[in-house]
Amino acid sequence: MTVMVKNLWKTFKIPQERRDTLFENLIGFFRPNQYETLTVLKDINFAAEEGDFIGIIGDNGSGKSTLLKIIANILRPTKGEIEVDGRMASFLELGVGFHPDLTVLENVGVYASVIGLSNREIEERTEEIIEFAGLRKFEETKLKNLSSGMQVRLAFSTAVQTDPDVLLVDEVLAVGDMEFQQKCFDVFERYKKEGVTTLFVSHDLASVRRFCDKTLLLRHGEQVAFDETSRVVDEYIYNPEEKNDAVDTVEEQKTRWGNMKLEITDVRFLDKYDKENDNFISGDPMTVRIFYHSHERIASPAFGIVFYYQDTYCYGTTTDFKGCDTGSVYGTGYVDFMVEKLPLLDGRFEVTVAVASSDYKVQYDWHDRLYSFDVQNPTRDLGIFSIDCEWRLSKDA
Amino acid sequence: MFTPSHLRELRGYRELILRLAWSDFKLRYKNSILGFFWTLLEPLLMLLVLYVVFSHLMRIQVEYYQLFLLLGIVLWNFLARGTTMSIFGIIGKPSLVQKVYFPRDILIISSCATALMMTLLEFVVFIAFMAIFRVAPSAAILYFPLIFFIEFVIVLGLSLGLSALNVYFRDVQFIWQVILQAGFFATPLLYPITIFPVNLQKIVMLNPMARIISMLRDCTLYQTAPIFEDMIYVTIWAMVILLVGYLIFDRLEPRFAEEI
Repeated sequence: MTVMVKNLWKTFKIPQERRDTLFENLIGFFRPNQYETLTVLKDINFAAEEGDFIGIIGDNGSGKSTLLKIIANILRPTKGEIEVDGRMASFLELGVGFHPDLTVLENVGVYASVIGLSNREIEERTEEIIEFAGLRKFEETKLKNLSSGMQVRLAFSTAVQTDPDVLLVDEVLAVGDMEFQQKCFDVFERYKKEGVTTLFVSHDLASVRRFCDKTLLLRHGEQVAFDETSRVVDEYIYNPEEKNDAVDTVEEQKTRWGNMKLEITDVRFLDKYDKENDNFISGDPMTVRIFYHSHERIASPAFGIVFYYQDTYCYGTTTDFKGCDTGSVYGTGYVDFMVEKLPLLDGRFEVTVAVASSDYKVQYDWHDRLYSFDVQNPTRDLGIFSIDCEWRLSKDA
Repeated sequence: MFTPSHLRELRGYRELILRLAWSDFKLRYKNSILGFFWTLLEPLLMLLVLYVVFSHLMRIQVEYYQLFLLLGIVLWNFLARGTTMSIFGIIGKPSLVQKVYFPRDILIISSCATALMMTLLEFVVFIAFMAIFRVAPSAAILYFPLIFFIEFVIVLGLSLGLSALNVYFRDVQFIWQVILQAGFFATPLLYPITIFPVNLQKIVMLNPMARIISMLRDCTLYQTAPIFEDMIYVTIWAMVILLVGYLIFDRLEPRFAEEI
């Protein structure tokens, strides 16, 4: 077992009034400071075997980074035990200890030393680091005269020279362009092959899926799941916390119109388990259920739906366009808009639903972009929607 | 603390300590045109002022007064500079405390080492002055490294305690500056101890820095080896200061990352 976390708790004490000086403390001696306690980690338990690649996911503020910092020994636990076997390197931030007034070469030396390389290793590898960062011409340039992209490249090239037994990575991939991310992935592949035990905090579920054998899901500091990655990611996406709907009703006035003879009373998004949800994985089934209430008998009303991505009108259709005759409608009921494989790829999509007369001359009810859902991209494809496709190569044609 | 395992750990980090100290040292002179000469010029200018004031206006009669004064200033500067730089050793390097882990006393040891490098440069100037004034050291000079090491231990102990306290109480840095100012005049740097009546001399000499500086002057300029009791006295002080410094540091260290 290389990393073991047992019954880990972390509580921060937040003073209501910050006393930074001796003076304030002396003055406040007779007036005890009030503390609020904030428990950010509650009873975390997991273990990583040698060579495991473990993802840590959760919403912002769920305690992911705190957990990583405690394992890295930067913060101390309030309760519980942590064991780490072997040499540990942590990339909570790239380029720790970089100084703008030192030259590229000097910075490589300091940073490499900070992340645990010996002088001999530094001497042997400096050449390679500079080469890999593509900064051969700038060896003697002060760091502050490099672009931020170059600085990140330099930090990254240095960082990957460590050969730890245990590696902690916090959202490092969030910075940088595509080429840089690709480099990060290559390095991850290498570490994985070398059997480095890695703990990887990320928001990017696609890379968590790609690299992590197991994943830990945190929610408000509690360990919700620690299991095979695909299961945990499903749990994260399809079992979200209850959200507050109060905001929606306020805006409803401005964004809804129609004569209300046929009202749309509710819209729900259903996932592959037929559960209400507004998080989806691209390629999975999705159903939009539109509830209505008709105050009078209406013949063949047309229900419609429109998808938006930011201000882009992505797709719109109606029951009528799809040849679905709604017949005579009276009272309450619902219409399902069913998608077998969700082609939307990544991001937040907004939805308009509406119902009109069969000739579209009378608008009964229009809910303008009142609903939204999020889509996670499990693939490495890019963009907002996916095209069902494959590649085929022919040679000597 | 001084547990064998911690000392071994520190030994493992000696390259990092030196690198941090050396890069800090270089940074201090990088942006100034006169570069390294600043470090030499600063005590010399101070020497000039003090020499004029004290030898002519106050008529202090001491053999080799210029050297007496210069050595005093250099030695006191080491204490003042080492502790002042170290006080910011933790709060001045938030990323090294919050984003990566190594034993945090390394930051303090390395800033004391930077101060030491600067002082060594000043010693070079001092040696040049000794040559100019044709003062030849005797065998007593062999005590110099040992006594100076004791001063280093005192500086390190003070630095550890002060830097840790300064994380929690940000006015420690200002209070310490006042204490240093007072110490500058209360320690016989500018004047010989003999200007005081005997009773008062005893009180002034309770200050370990006073004894260290007078022993170092004696063995460098006046061919006099230190007295055994004096050595014991300052050694005990140094050990107590280092111990208390480490106790404070170890006590406060776990929450550094949260408090910065």
